[in-house]
Amino acid sequence: MKKQYAVSLLVASLVVIALAAVAGSGRTDNDVPAPPTIGTVIDDFKLPDADGKEHSLKSLAGSKGAVVIFIATKCPVSNAYNDRMEKLAQEYKAKGINFIGINANNTEPASEVKSHAAEKGLTFTILKDDGNKIADRLGATRTPEAYALDANMKLVYHGRIDNSQKVEGVTSEDLREALNEMLAGKAVTKTGGAAFGCTIKRVS
Amino acid sequence: MKMRLSLSIVLAVALGVIAAQSQTSKAPSPVGSKENGSGAAAASEIRVVDLDGLKKLLQRDPNEKRPLLVNFWASWCDGCREEFPDLVKIDEDYRSKGLSFLSVTVDELEDKPQAASFLQEMKAKMPVVLLNVADKEPAIHAVDLTWDGALPATFLYDVSGNVVYRHFGKIKPEELRAAIDKTIKQ
Repeated sequence: MKKQYAVSLLVASLVVIALAAVAGSGRTDNDVPAPPTIGTVIDDFKLPDADGKEHSLKSLAGSKGAVVIFIATKCPVSNAYNDRMEKLAQEYKAKGINFIGINANNTEPASEVKSHAAEKGLTFTILKDDGNKIADRLGATRTPEAYALDANMKLVYHGRIDNSQKVEGVTSEDLREALNEMLAGKAVTKTGGAAFGCTIKRVS
Repeated sequence: MKMRLSLSIVLAVALGVIAAQSQTSKAPSPVGSKENGSGAAAASEIRVVDLDGLKKLLQRDPNEKRPLLVNFWASWCDGCREEFPDLVKIDEDYRSKGLSFLSVTVDELEDKPQAASFLQEMKAKMPVVLLNVADKEPAIHAVDLTWDGALPATFLYDVSGNVVYRHFGKIKPEELRAAIDKTIKQ
């Protein structure tokens, strides 16, 4: 009986202390799941493009890999990268790496994604992630935010495109360097990079 | 039996303390207040700081008695602009209750006039600095290793410099106020 009492007390103490620890801790995010770690193989997924046609990740990937970038129509940072994204997409498509855009903002409907892409000259496929399921799965928080995958859909880079929103300030082309190392069969040296960007407008 | 029970309680408390410490991240260094005390700058005055300047602002004087709320924003950021009236109100409501507030715009230096104009429109009274760094990554990491740069971002430090609340994206005013109330009472 005493033993039972002791065990109960111990469990109760642990529960109370654990709850206190959680309550006192800093909140981490708007409940966005943590992104997959570098080296994780990304499971295939399907999303519709702006015309409603479904595509799988594997069907859009190139023979050497893919770059998934969360983008936006209204975010000035994402828009500052339109030309750079398109240039990178064309350059690396020729090398077997296809770029795939994902718009997960619930404030930007498919029709807007379509007209924005046409207006800004974005020729790579852009998928609409209504309900932000894939943004959640990849732990994406901002636009633009890039994920580079090798031929086996293994994540080799996750983060910024480069170090500067303004083209003239670019001194570190992190995504490009990662892709070049991947294509050369080398381990990626810098596997991520932080940059200011617009928060993805998720469904509440 | 009594001894075993006491040992169990001691063990539970120790585990709890370790868990609590691992959950609460430390500020880069103690948070200072001389430059972020109440009413230190008019709304339109934006001081330009580099990475070292930002780190100094986040340093805490050992004699500091006020928690510090830090909000990162940019004039181009919709969510930042939308939440700003709530932050101005929180600044007004809590300054006299012992809260320091530092507003950090990450606008480019040439966009400082837009930031200043926005602050005037908001009638903002908290101290504001513009973070002027060529590469943002070291600054983002210096503030919080769990932050990837998504804006807006809001951090509440207790008097010891611990981050006791962080929020990425638009704040939920009631949630933030509850966190401030709790921190001020400590």
